[in-house]
Amino acid sequence: MKPLRLLALFIIPMGLIIAAVPQNKTKPYKLTADQLLGEANTRTQYITPETVADMIIKKDPSFQLIDVRNKDDFEKFSLPGAINIPVADLLSDKFTDILNQDVKMNIFYSNGTITANEAWMVTRQLGYKNNLVLEGGLNYWFDVILNPQKPASTSPDEEFAKYDFRLSAGKALGGGMAVQSNQNQSTESAKPALQSAPKKKKAAGGC
Amino acid sequence: MGPLSVNELISANTNLFLAFIIGIGFGFVLEQSGFSSSRKLAGVFYGYDTVVLKVFFTAAITAMLGLLFFSLFGWIDLNLIYVNPTYLTSAIVGGMIMGAGFIIGGYCPGTSFCGASIGKIDAFVFIGGLFIGILIFALGYKIWDGMYLAKFLGFPKISQTIGLSDGVFAFLLIIVALSMFRVAEWAEKKFPREEY
Repeated sequence: MKPLRLLALFIIPMGLIIAAVPQNKTKPYKLTADQLLGEANTRTQYITPETVADMIIKKDPSFQLIDVRNKDDFEKFSLPGAINIPVADLLSDKFTDILNQDVKMNIFYSNGTITANEAWMVTRQLGYKNNLVLEGGLNYWFDVILNPQKPASTSPDEEFAKYDFRLSAGKALGGGMAVQSNQNQSTESAKPALQSAPKKKKAAGGC
Repeated sequence: MGPLSVNELISANTNLFLAFIIGIGFGFVLEQSGFSSSRKLAGVFYGYDTVVLKVFFTAAITAMLGLLFFSLFGWIDLNLIYVNPTYLTSAIVGGMIMGAGFIIGGYCPGTSFCGASIGKIDAFVFIGGLFIGILIFALGYKIWDGMYLAKFLGFPKISQTIGLSDGVFAFLLIIVALSMFRVAEWAEKKFPREEY
C-alpha cells in the first residue's frame, strides 16, 4: 500500500473522532480561595519596574498600563501610555472589554501596591486572564527608575548592570524630574543607548 | 496534569535536559531524512523534491492530533500551552525573507546546523549569513522597530479566529494536508530531476 494512502487511512478517522467529540473545557472558571492565596503568595502577579520600563521604551504593543488611582491623581501624574480605571469603577461595563481579553497584558499600578492588588484580586476572581501588578507601585518606580541609587562599590556586577539599565531607562522616561506633572513626557524624548534587561520569554520553535 | 514544566511536575532544569534530548533526536531525524542537503529544501520550491513539506506537515498534524487527544483524555491543559504572539506585519515580512533565504541558501536555520555537523561547507556559509542577518537586525533595531511591532494581534488561534472548534479545524487541516501531499507527489512526477 502506498504510504500516503496508509497515512490517510490512519489519520482521517482520527481527525473525524477529534472533530466529533466536544472540546474539553473542564477548567474551573473561578479560583478557589486556596488557589488565589497560593497565587498571591508566590507573587506571580508582579511584574518588575525594569521590565515595564523596557517595554515602554521599546513601544511594545503587547501591554497596557492601567492606573487604578482616582482621576485627580491620574491627571497629576501617570506613566506613559497609561489609561485610568479607578478601582471604584473596576466593574463598570465599559471597562470589561479592556480587563477581560487575551490579547494584551494589563499592568495595574497605584502609588503602592495595595490598590493595584485589589484590582488584580477582583479581576482574577472573575476569571480574567492577563492582568498583572507593577511591583512596588509608583513609589518604587520613582526610587528605582527615575532616581536610582548607585550601588555600593562592593556590590556584584549584576547590581551595576541593573543600575546602568535603570539610569538609562530613567533618562529615556524623563527621570530627575520625578513628581512634576509630566504627562506628555512620553517615549518621544531622546533615547540614550539602552541595554535591555533580560526578558523572560519562552523559547519559540521553528525548524 | 500536563504541561509538565508549567505545572511543576518536573523542574526547569529537567525540562531543559529533556529539550536537549529531544533536540538531539530532532537533529538526528533531520540528518537521516537527508535534510542536511541544500537541494532537498530548495526542491520544495522547484517541485522536484517535496520531502520537507511532507515531513514537516506530517509532524505538525501528528502533534496537533496528539495534543487534542491528550486534552480530551485530560492529560494536558491546552490553555497552558504557549502560543506565539502574532505581529502580523513582521510575520509576513519575516516569512518572505525566510522563504527567500530557503530558496537561495537551501537551508533553514535548523537544517543548516545539521549540515554543518556533518561538515558541509555551504552549511557553514549559510550559518555565517545567519549571524550577519542577526547582527544587522539587532544593530538596526531602531530603524525597524515600528514595523517589527506593528499589528499586534495577541495570541490568536486560527480556529478561534474563524470560529470553529479545535477538533473541526484539525479535521479540515488534515484534509488540506493530505490533498497537499497529493499535489506534492504530482509535482515530483511533473518536475523530475536527476538523482544526486
